[in-house]
Order: sequence, then C-alpha cells, then structure tokens
Amino acid sequence: MKDKVRDWLETGKVDLFLGYKQVDGHPLPHAFSKENLAELGELIVSPARYALEKLATEILAIKPALKIGILGRDCNQRAVNVLTVHQQISPGQIQILEVNCCPSPLRKHAACSTLQPQTYGAVKLELGVDNNMSVAQMDQFDQESLYSRWMYEFQKCLKCYGCRDICPVCFCKECSLENNDLVATGGLPPEVPLFHLIRAVHMAGRCVDCGLCEEACPVDIPLRLLYRKVNGIVKDLFGYETGGSHEQPPFSLLGESTPPEAEPHSKAV
Amino acid sequence: MYRLVPSVCSYCGTGCGVLFEVLDGQLLKTLPLKTHPVNQGKLCIKGWNLHEFVNSRMRLQSPLLKVNGRFHDVTWNRALQFTAEKLKGIIEKYGPDSVGVLVSAKITNEENYLLQKFARAVVGTNNVDHCARL
Ligand code: SF4
Ligand code: SF4
Ligand code: SF4
Repeated sequence: MKDKVRDWLETGKVDLFLGYKQVDGHPLPHAFSKENLAELGELIVSPARYALEKLATEILAIKPALKIGILGRDCNQRAVNVLTVHQQISPGQIQILEVNCCPSPLRKHAACSTLQPQTYGAVKLELGVDNNMSVAQMDQFDQESLYSRWMYEFQKCLKCYGCRDICPVCFCKECSLENNDLVATGGLPPEVPLFHLIRAVHMAGRCVDCGLCEEACPVDIPLRLLYRKVNGIVKDLFGYETGGSHEQPPFSLLGESTPPEAEPHSKAV
Repeated sequence: MYRLVPSVCSYCGTGCGVLFEVLDGQLLKTLPLKTHPVNQGKLCIKGWNLHEFVNSRMRLQSPLLKVNGRFHDVTWNRALQFTAEKLKGIIEKYGPDSVGVLVSAKITNEENYLLQKFARAVVGTNNVDHCARL
C-alpha cells in the first residue's frame, strides 16, 4: 500500500494523497505529498472512518487543478461515483486506493468503524426503532406503530445538522434544511418530522449508505435505516442503484447540474 | 498545504474533540474527532461551526477601550495598564471584596487556576464564580 502511494506521488498520478496517520493516539486523516514522502512510513488504514472524498472535494472546489488520491473503502467509492454523477468532481480528479472492507461471515460488521453493532436500551426498543433493524424487519410494524416509533426517534433531534455536515454527498449550496420557509432556523425543537423527511427525500438517489450520519448523530436516530428505506423505493420504482450507476438519478429530469463552488470562508457579516 | 489539526471545542465545558481542516493556512471546516473519548464522533451545532467564529469578520482582533462613549482599538499594553489602574483605584477606595472574578468554561483548567489565583492572591478576594452558574 505504501509503495503504491509512493509511486502515485512520485509519478504525479496524484498531487496529494489522503490517508491516515496515528497522531497522539488517534488515527487521523492526513495529507501525504511528494514533499513529505518520508512520512509514508506512518500511513495506516484507520478503524475510524472519515469521509476522505468529502475532504478531497472541498479541496478541489478551491484548487480544481489538483489530482487527489484517497484511501477508500466501498462506501468511499460509491460516494465518489455520486459526486461525479452530480458534477461536483470530474472523473479522475479523485483516485481511490482500495482497502479492505468486505463483511465476512466471521465479522459481519467489519465493514464499518464498529466491529459489533451497538446494543440499545429497553425503552428505545419498546418505543422507538432499533438501529440494527433491516428494512424488511421494520416493514413488519403496522402503520400506527411505525408512525409512533419514528416520531419517538425524530423528537430526540437536537438539530445539530451533523447528519448533513458529515455526509459525503451533501453538497448543495443552498440547503433546504436552512430554508426558513421549510424549517425555521435558529430555534428548537426542530420541525418534526419535517426536518427528517426533507433530508430523507433529498437522499433518494444520492445516499450511498455509508452510515456516517448515524455515527455522527448524538441521539442515535436510525438515519441509515431511514435512507435505506427511501433508496429501496428508488430501486424498486426506477431500477436505479445509487452509487453504483454512472447515470443521472431518475430525479434530474431537467438535466440540472450544480457546479462546484467553494463555500465562502465565513457566513457571518 | 492541507492539514488536519486535532483540537478541543472552545464553546462549552464538555470539551468535545474536533478536527480542523486547514488549507493554505485558512480554516475551512470543523469535523468531530471520531476517536475522542468525550464526544465519540459527535458534536453539537456550536462545535460543528467553530470555523465560523474564527473566520468571522466580526471577531475582535484587539482590545477595545471606551473613550467618550465610543470604543477604540488599543494595544494590549494600554488595555492592561488601564484596567490595572482602574482596579487598583477601586480596591483602594472600596476594598478587595468590591471586586469579583468570573472564570469561564471556555478557557483551560490552567487559565481558570490562574484567574482564581489572581482573585485570591493579587486582588485579595474570594469572590470567584463561574459562567456556568449564570
Ligand atoms: S448514509 Fe448518511 S452520511 Fe452516508 S451518504 Fe447516506 S445520508 Fe449521507
Ligand atoms: S445528526 Fe441527529 S440530532 Fe443532529 S440534526 Fe441530524 S438527526 Fe438531528
Ligand atoms: S461541541 Fe458542543 S457540547 Fe461539545 S464542547 Fe463544543 S459546545 Fe460543548
């Protein structure tokens, strides 16, 4: 892996390589470059996942001439596909060095940061939705119970916007979650369930099921399950496999494109 | 050119671990530190937006002194000198217990220690309180 990255940097296949390095006991994302090749000895695969493709996209919005390599699992690859389809990056701007991901029968949850699924308390299991549920299991609840269970989850929301901020495929310049006509900003509690349903609808044909939003949610709302359900519908109705396709999702009927644009450094005036 | 700098959120006493994205010396974004024992990869809305106040044009870059009802930028030397003289005058006239010191959850342990030391040993009062009780 290190030799390959060295090769990529030396031959100029990439100008910058985002991998991980152990810093003060924490595996942190780190940018390796031709200037600091000696550091490559410290390149590691991190058990904690960061959306390296999001970091790369942010750099590219400011420096479009760069070519960036990233250490990537399957979810990173899917996110890069979606970012390319939505024209946030051009094909080839981000090169992925694939690392192991594959859940095996021995380690079902090795795919992500946590080897074992988290277990939840009795109250959540009784009143809410278990984050470890599959869509099929969730569908067994009747309508009334589904409604009350999801409302139990949604009303916990702190409106931290973490689910949006961490998401590798959330790139809209004007976010509907900050549109005062839909969601009043600057106040709590958030509009429930509107806040979550807006996000869920926007994740149709976009969410790559990386699970980072759920990991970032301070109140354990089963966001990944919600978006899985939404994307299941997209697949059933349109046959569109989000993240696996190089075609526009079925919702871009007008052929709209959102050109990449660097966010202003400060929104405050 | 591009660095990720681990740090601690300065907004409240919880002390969540954050990671700053820095491109060419400019702070771009804030991320939660995934492996931090306190926040375990989660942040509140304040923590997520730390870069906004660092980059804000409203941010005070130097001390302000009110002269004739208007604030003026002054040097640290001038500001400290002025404050010291004022405090001294108040303590001489009304005694040390006319002064109170408010410490903060947004500063470090060591700074809080220094502030209570300042209150007790320099000013000579036990009037020390904390912003979390406001
Ligand atoms: S799982 Fe969450 S963070 Fe990942 S792409 Fe979907 S919405 Fe975004
Ligand atoms: S991460 Fe969780 S708490 Fe924060 S806004 Fe999203 S759903 Fe709400
Ligand atoms: S992120 Fe929020 S809870 Fe954590 S230290 Fe900062 S202000 Fe406090």
